[in-house]
Amino acid sequence: MHRALLPGLASMILLAGPATAADAPPGASSCTGCHAPKKVADSVIPRLAGRKAEDIVTFMRDYRSGAWPSSLMGRIAKGFDDQQTEAIAAWFAAQPE
Amino acid sequence: MATRRHFLKISAAAGLAPAVVSAQGRARVVVIGGGFGGATAARTLKATQPLLDVTLVEPNPVYTSCPFSNSVLASLREIGQQQFRYDGIKAAGVTVAETSATAVDAEAKTVTLVDGSRLPYDRLVMSPGIDFTWNAIQGYDEAATEKMPHAWKAGAQTVLLRRQLQAMDDGGLVVLSSPANPFRCPPGPYERASLIAYWLKIWKPKSKLLLLDSKDAFSKQRLFQNGWAELYPGMIEWVPLSQGGKVTAVDPATLTLTTEFGSHKAAVANVIPPQKAGAIAVQAGVADRTGWCPVEPVAFESTLRPNIHILGDAAIMGGMPKSAFAANAQAKVCAAAIVKLLAGEKPQDPIVINTCYSLLAADYGISIAGVYRPDGRQLTDIPGAGGASPLEAVGGLRGQEALYASSWFRTITAETFG
Repeated sequence: MHRALLPGLASMILLAGPATAADAPPGASSCTGCHAPKKVADSVIPRLAGRKAEDIVTFMRDYRSGAWPSSLMGRIAKGFDDQQTEAIAAWFAAQPE
Repeated sequence: MATRRHFLKISAAAGLAPAVVSAQGRARVVVIGGGFGGATAARTLKATQPLLDVTLVEPNPVYTSCPFSNSVLASLREIGQQQFRYDGIKAAGVTVAETSATAVDAEAKTVTLVDGSRLPYDRLVMSPGIDFTWNAIQGYDEAATEKMPHAWKAGAQTVLLRRQLQAMDDGGLVVLSSPANPFRCPPGPYERASLIAYWLKIWKPKSKLLLLDSKDAFSKQRLFQNGWAELYPGMIEWVPLSQGGKVTAVDPATLTLTTEFGSHKAAVANVIPPQKAGAIAVQAGVADRTGWCPVEPVAFESTLRPNIHILGDAAIMGGMPKSAFAANAQAKVCAAAIVKLLAGEKPQDPIVINTCYSLLAADYGISIAGVYRPDGRQLTDIPGAGGASPLEAVGGLRGQEALYASSWFRTITAETFG
């Protein structure tokens, strides 16, 4: 009888579960367009997966301030505040290397 | 309740992760279009939620990448290096239907294929790319592309334009026509002009390139123009809209391009025509009067038809340009959002990045980037972030960016196609 009320949803069974890629913090999924999750032949762009979160945060902070020179990352880092950066760093740190 | 308990039991027994299972079976997502948007969406959906039934509808067994296809024109790459198959996507558990979608019924939630069969969906992702608006430039129709290639969908057209350049006499005039905004790959025509000049300078140094533009400004403009002056002095002439750059008609038989101010006879003519969302978008009712597809900025769901998400060049993405990087980034956001929506949860507000590299020579790269978030009804630039490479290059920056460009290409194609 629920089917009549909610035709699209009534037949679905929903289960909660652990965090998946659907729960990656905002911005994180864009990074892998350049920073490969797995080793890619001949890429000079470092991987992020499995790196220490504090290292990623430090780099992003220094890119943003210009303390560490960069070709592109300074322009990207300025789009994220400390909290957002920390969430992304923690996410990548927890990914398998 | 018996059904519910039954399914919970089965799911628990199989040790299933967070799941979306319908009484009829798995939740179904159909993806139309196997480019950077669609292929990424299909792979990411399946990787994020292995219980989803994901079907990618794509008629071509091989995808030919537009990014780096300008390097093929300059003989820096071969067309085979641009080509990717769908084996990695199949291996990831996505069903690849090697056929075309002819219709979408948003009410019945079905996609009709060429053979008349229908694929039902719970959510549909459309990443149909672009189609050309034939005869927007008088005389430029599909037949004209055999004489005056667009080469704006990579493949046979790219190879044809390269052959024409190779067959041209030294001293010939190459004419390139660039459309008004919006169009696929805003810096693309200028990278193309650069790399054709790169090749001409080596092989046909008496030749010139005339770039007729339907705009008065373009992406990374000062970087390109400074680079042209430095690398190819006197070779590239850019004619903006206000100085008669808009091509209004062409004659393929004589390779003549007519502008509002006069006409130009080319030895090789590359016409990049005005564009719109791929035809299936119009059929599905998700394109508006502009020819492009409006979407909301969180899950990129059509504002015109429910349960249909649109990615990449076909969509109106607020401040985001039509690029492969953007389509890939949007696809990952969209896939995560669809998994949430199918589980009855609310997707989070995304942050989406775009990065576009352009080459002016084999070892000379520049970039533009942007970081975007939903701002009311569309994706908007986060102020202070993004922008183009500095005008003053120090410490081998242009060479470094050329290296990053090729690393980016290898990474994004690996992520998209496996």
